[in-house]
Amino acid sequence: MEELMEILEELRPDVDFENETALITDGVLDSFDIVALVGELNDAFDIEIKPNNLVPENFNSAKAMYALIEKLQDE
Amino acid sequence: MEKSVLCRLNSAAIKYTDKIIFKDSKTCLTFGGFNDITKSIGTYLAGVAPASSPVVVMSGRHVYTPACFLGAVRAGCFYAPMDGDMPKTRLNQILGVIKSELMLVDKAHLEIAQSLDFDGKIVVMEDILETPANEELLKSREESLTGASPLYVIFTSGSTGVPKGVITSHQSLMTYIDSVSKVLSIDDTDIFGNQSPLDYIAAIRDIYLPISFGASTYIIPKNEFAVPAQLFETLNREKITALCWSVAGVELPAKLGAFDVSKPEYLKKLCFSGSVMPCKYLKIWQENLPDVLYVNQYGPTETTASCTYYVVNEKVDDDTVLPIGKPYDNYKVFLLNEDNTPTEQGKTGEICVSGSILALGYYGNPEYTEKSFIQNPLNPNYRELIYKTGDLGSFNADGLLEFHGRKDRQIKHLGHRIELGEIEETAKKISGVLDCCSLYNKPKEHLYLFYTGDATSKDIVLYFRANMPAFMVPRKLVNLDAMPTLPNGKIDMQTLKSYFK
Repeated sequence: MEELMEILEELRPDVDFENETALITDGVLDSFDIVALVGELNDAFDIEIKPNNLVPENFNSAKAMYALIEKLQDE
Repeated sequence: MEKSVLCRLNSAAIKYTDKIIFKDSKTCLTFGGFNDITKSIGTYLAGVAPASSPVVVMSGRHVYTPACFLGAVRAGCFYAPMDGDMPKTRLNQILGVIKSELMLVDKAHLEIAQSLDFDGKIVVMEDILETPANEELLKSREESLTGASPLYVIFTSGSTGVPKGVITSHQSLMTYIDSVSKVLSIDDTDIFGNQSPLDYIAAIRDIYLPISFGASTYIIPKNEFAVPAQLFETLNREKITALCWSVAGVELPAKLGAFDVSKPEYLKKLCFSGSVMPCKYLKIWQENLPDVLYVNQYGPTETTASCTYYVVNEKVDDDTVLPIGKPYDNYKVFLLNEDNTPTEQGKTGEICVSGSILALGYYGNPEYTEKSFIQNPLNPNYRELIYKTGDLGSFNADGLLEFHGRKDRQIKHLGHRIELGEIEETAKKISGVLDCCSLYNKPKEHLYLFYTGDATSKDIVLYFRANMPAFMVPRKLVNLDAMPTLPNGKIDMQTLKSYFK
């Protein structure tokens, strides 16, 4: 989780990732943030985020992203 | 000859009264309904604003925003659209240039509008939709327009740190729209999927192709671009046939693997512009949708959106570089050397454009206008203004224009035009930044800021987020003890580039 928070913090230091729960739904993260983020997460956690995973529920909060990462690592 | 875009709207409203013109995720408007709204807005505005004056429009991604634009035009005015999501500093800069007496906003943007440095009148669009149309007043305002009247002022990055407002006339807009419609064979069966922000130059196709040819436009919600599977679902649900997107927008679904899930079944034409298309992504589109017409466009805002086009007939490879092609109808495009002599066939020169599609200049800035729009140095006989684009190009053996980058420090990042000088001017305002240099790592699409001083990267990003549009926020910040310099004292950019990761 710490590593994820570091990546998020570097990507968008202006966003409160501890508390935000509608990052995609409210448009806090835009499509270009997502492209950058997917690349970084794939590299950092050695996972492959597929288009099917790119739904708001998986990216609306840091917690949801972490759950997705753990799920993909188990596969 | 049509004097203004209103001639087109008037005929379309009769011919296509009950057909949909604009649709978003919540509402849709027919040509008739849309026309009525522009008349209500136009009547109200004509009562409070003189003809030929600017109306600032700050309104969201919905069907009423184009109605605000055309409503301003019905009042004999021209519109200056502003993206309310931009930081206040930026919005205030735009207001400082346009010096409008009137701002038209939707309810959602009222609070922001009230917080800006603006002492003119703020009008809320929702409050004036029911204004009864005053046909006589509207007619006299419509008659005051000529082909040379300004239609809109669109703002773009300026190297001195203040955005420039490019003014486009009715005639220029109609010339471009007619030329692009021929290449894309647009008719009233076409449905566009709008990607571009509505205040941005690229949206003029999604607004004026429907008005001119009876087509429709669906305004795609912004956050769907972060969710590619949903994006293609939307294109299919709305039976979208044509996309005029930025290169960055075309890349997105390919990058995020959207084609692994589904594909746009109804799509027939895709034209893209804004920056150089990396063909590894176009290849993915072509492989999945081999029958779609792909058109590469090139051109700055100063020449009304695009001045050349290239129909991609070949199957591209990862390393294919597309030509930017040949001029649109009614555009003259040629090359000049540094010393204003004609460039020899096959050699590289600066791309220059002339014709009735040239912008009317930069709003309120005659000095910069004079410098950028000049008499054609090859023509001593009569007045022929040209715009020197600052882009380099050459004509290949087939007579097609090829693009070779910029003469100066302007870049294209995420589909937007940015002056690196403007990034530096902004960074220098931050306390703790002593010296800085902004550079672009094109292959990785990273905007860099190298700087000296004790500011943290967080300080800098937060300042940019608060004051500049999101696409102008540097993604990579590098703090140096000292800037590398050349013997003449200038910053050594080649050394800085070697620090790219």
